Amino acid sequence: MTQQRGSERQLGQIIYYIILWLVAIAFFLPVLWIFLAAFKSGGELVRWPPKWIFSPTLDNIRDAINRPNFWEYFRMSFVFSIGAVAIAIVVAFLAAYSFSRFKPRGTNFMMFLLLSVRMVPAAAVVVPVFMMYNAFGWNKTFHGMLLFYAMFCIPFSLWILKGFLDGVSVRFDETALVNGGSRLHVIFRVVLPQVKPGLVAAAIFNLIFVWNEFLFNYLLGGKGTTMIPVLLATGVNQGGSVDWSFIASLSLIYMLPPIVAIFLFQKYLLVGMTFGTVRGEV
Amino acid sequence: MTGTNTILEFRGIAKSYGATPVLQDVNLTVESGDFLVVYGPPAAGKTVLMRILMGLETPDAGTIHLRGQDATRVPAAQRNIGYVPQSFALYPHISVHDNIAYPLRLAGVSERDAEPIVQHAAEMLKISDLLKKRPDQLSGGQKQRVAIARGIAKQTDIYVLDDPLAGLDFKLREQLVDDLRGLQQSWNATFLYTTSDAIEALTLADRVAVLAERTIVEAGTPEQLYDAPERIETMRLLGFPQANFLPGEIAERNGSLVCRTPLFEFAVRPDNGAVSASHRSVTVGLRPESIAIASSGSANGAIQAPARVLLQEDLGGEEIVYLDANGVSLMTVVRHDTFEGTIPDRITIALDPTALIVFAPDGKRVGQGVPVGHV
Repeated sequence: MTQQRGSERQLGQIIYYIILWLVAIAFFLPVLWIFLAAFKSGGELVRWPPKWIFSPTLDNIRDAINRPNFWEYFRMSFVFSIGAVAIAIVVAFLAAYSFSRFKPRGTNFMMFLLLSVRMVPAAAVVVPVFMMYNAFGWNKTFHGMLLFYAMFCIPFSLWILKGFLDGVSVRFDETALVNGGSRLHVIFRVVLPQVKPGLVAAAIFNLIFVWNEFLFNYLLGGKGTTMIPVLLATGVNQGGSVDWSFIASLSLIYMLPPIVAIFLFQKYLLVGMTFGTVRGEV
Repeated sequence: MTGTNTILEFRGIAKSYGATPVLQDVNLTVESGDFLVVYGPPAAGKTVLMRILMGLETPDAGTIHLRGQDATRVPAAQRNIGYVPQSFALYPHISVHDNIAYPLRLAGVSERDAEPIVQHAAEMLKISDLLKKRPDQLSGGQKQRVAIARGIAKQTDIYVLDDPLAGLDFKLREQLVDDLRGLQQSWNATFLYTTSDAIEALTLADRVAVLAERTIVEAGTPEQLYDAPERIETMRLLGFPQANFLPGEIAERNGSLVCRTPLFEFAVRPDNGAVSASHRSVTVGLRPESIAIASSGSANGAIQAPARVLLQEDLGGEEIVYLDANGVSLMTVVRHDTFEGTIPDRITIALDPTALIVFAPDGKRVGQGVPVGHV
């Protein structure tokens, strides 16, 4: 009886995992396609049914790397991702501390407003941002682009960090204060070490966002501020037809850093996706 | 009012949260070197008062004078008071050792000078073997002891301990009570200590301040407050088991005052003529240990009354006996070393009239019983 129920449960588990794997594979197929396509020659790439066994070539990757400005664009991807996120995390952490501890009037409304920037589709804010940047003379400038991404990363980081800071009892602050600690001591030596997972979660989430951002980089950026996604989009049509080999090989190169980052920090990603409400084991 | 050695004074402190008043017109003076226990029932506002002293809350009214200066607006960081908060607030990201050393590190004490202080505090609180651990590896009682160690590690002249022994097991409490008392005496520091445990308050204190009904109703030595309380709240709150209270009526007979209760009558000696016609109905307070179970015959001058035993609660060395005397509920304590044998169901209680304290309806003491024929 018990044994039977045990084997039933085992069967249920097996079906459960089969479905899980099927879904995972379905979602992973495009990535696999890109991976394989990056090493196929142009003719093999478009053949139907797809060829699974082929002699891989590095020509596509060599071609992508040798496109004009590739390294420059690649560098800017790193500079903007890391730079903007660094600025955003510092600003968001200090803001989150203020919101969490001093609770200025209208805190909840302000928190909502901040997030609403991220609720509207990017295309909706393109025009106002473009005009604003024109007025500032910030179009096609490095600092303009950097600050734009920082601005775009702040609301989300703020939400995550406020969640974490609210979880750090204000009694910790008080203990530091009564022992003669300054406010800066409280912020950086008492509170900061306790919200490190929140900092990592906010950083990794926004790194991925900036890394993959195309629209604003395309419209606001220019020479010296362009990142890889723009190269990916603009390089497609060379020679009159869609250059799939180029897309596949460049995508593969560009995917690697975030894949490594996600692999290293995957548990923090969940924290980010749930605004810090699901902490898991971080 | 202010003595030469006054180190701390609360003057007319008031605090409310929203529409709820927590403290009203709190006045309290603390002498240098005192072990002052602020005693009050849970949620009486003891913690709020300590937080106001620490500078973590701002009073709505009143001032705090610290070391001879108005410190009401002085930031917490500059008040230089050792603090054991009710919530331990141990830093989870540093070791127990570093938690205890934390006040010293902030004060700029060198590691070499700090080490013996940390070790001594840890030894006293029996946590020397825990120094390398992180707070989340400790039990509740251990955390509490680390918090106390951190509070007393600070080198200063005033320490605030906000109910530091709450919830600790009995043996450890007793031992820590002794240790804290010894520490305070050897440092000659001023300790402010809050508790809702009457016995702890009476054991530890040089002076006890009773916080009830949002204010300090009375302050004095434990003996004063226990034997001769000036306020009914003091008598009601301070003591275990709780004091008995009987309704009484004051009447004048043959030129002297008599108080009549449902159980007995007794002669009253008014305090400075405080009893007048306006105090006709009063409350009579009586400590449980003042009620004796009369053996055969009667003691001289004692008041006697019949009573029925309702319930006996054995506490080991003594027993709390719940009595019904003519419809009035009374409690008495019987010590096993003074009373032999079993307590019968129907007994006669005997009490010394001087143990009876008479309170006016407003809670102020107005008189005391006197032996029969002594008016």
